Amino acid sequence: MHEIVLASPIQATVALWDMVQTPNFFEHFLVTLKRVSIGILIGGFAGFSLGIIAGLNRDIKSLLEPLRWLLMSVPPVVVVVLAMLWFGMGSTMAVFLISVLVAPTIYINTARGIEMVDEDLVEVAKIYKFSFFTLLKDVYTPAIAGPLSAAIVLGTCQAARVVVMAELLGANEGVGYMVGFTRSNLEIPQLFAWVLTTLFIVAIFEFILFRPIQNYFVRWKE
Amino acid sequence: MTKAISFDKISKKYGNKGIFQDLSFSINTQDVVGLLGPSGVGKTTILKLIASLEKPTSGKIDIFSKKISYVFQEPRLFPWKTTLENVVLPLRAAGFSKKKAIEKAKYSLYSMELSDFTGYYPSKLSGGMRQRVSLARALSLEPDILLLDEPFSALDTKMKDSLVGLLIQKLKERPMTVLYISHFPQEVEKIANKIFTISNTKRLTETLVPIAL
Repeated sequence: MHEIVLASPIQATVALWDMVQTPNFFEHFLVTLKRVSIGILIGGFAGFSLGIIAGLNRDIKSLLEPLRWLLMSVPPVVVVVLAMLWFGMGSTMAVFLISVLVAPTIYINTARGIEMVDEDLVEVAKIYKFSFFTLLKDVYTPAIAGPLSAAIVLGTCQAARVVVMAELLGANEGVGYMVGFTRSNLEIPQLFAWVLTTLFIVAIFEFILFRPIQNYFVRWKE
Repeated sequence: MTKAISFDKISKKYGNKGIFQDLSFSINTQDVVGLLGPSGVGKTTILKLIASLEKPTSGKIDIFSKKISYVFQEPRLFPWKTTLENVVLPLRAAGFSKKKAIEKAKYSLYSMELSDFTGYYPSKLSGGMRQRVSLARALSLEPDILLLDEPFSALDTKMKDSLVGLLIQKLKERPMTVLYISHFPQEVEKIANKIFTISNTKRLTETLVPIAL
């Protein structure tokens, strides 16, 4: 295939190696990493908190259901356009977008996980008068850790994909911006090198951060 | 003798299904009461009402102590906590310092001959060991009221006899009010000084066991 369409893995790797040696690379890499981190943190916290509340209270769950459905059904590109309209170009828009798209995934898994926690164990907690914090920390969180960590990994992949799209459409820095920039200049090996960089960002979250946390929570299953 | 538990005309319904009606009885402190009766007469419901896990449909329940422990038919251990952590957790919730809670939990597990298994997760223990952990958890709190809902029914006769013996010894060391549900009168007679029998007609009869603890 012509090299304008597809770079070979060697060309992409060499281009990445060259890019890594320039300060420009880390500037863009860190901007995206920061946006994804903050977005996941805000979206994860909102999704987890609302998921706990909804899992414990069916009325609140019914109240939140239309919003959850809306956020999971609207195409991300529409949210990008709206976020650009509301927040302009840059980090606020990207962080908002990630938060809004990650929160429903975390929310739905948390709420469903809470509903499925063994009622027998909750009775034990009631008998021994666990505080809400203890109940949350020592009963609910370990009980839902499996599905929750899968949701976080799913949310992170989603966030990385969306942030690149958002940066491509409405930012002047970040990995997505550089994907657009290299495409415009027909720097195909560099373009693929930036795609590889996106994969690294997902890998950092999944293998360095979330996988050890998940392993810690499910160590009792070994 | 002072009263530990009092039921005054308690009725309990689940939807339209009545479990019992106008049930009245009282239990004195340090009484060891066996609760007998066929399945479905509401024995477990009585224990759950005492533990505030259920609310009566009508009537008045007085519990004259706040320190209640409950051993269920199944051990109900937190699978993600080690043996020691399972015992420590309620102690911490009861306000003991971390150091004191670990100390008490270790002693309680030692008295159940589980000292070598403190770091094990419940999935690695046998059924009998898990139930001993559950008993250790209940007794470590030094409760005033101990509720036992067929705690040894899933165990073989040898293990059951051993645990009943252990419980009798524990009650001698530290007397407390006990309500013990079982289907087997001979098992209850070993431990109880009073037996309540609930019949299919939902009437409660009280019998004194001749040989007390």
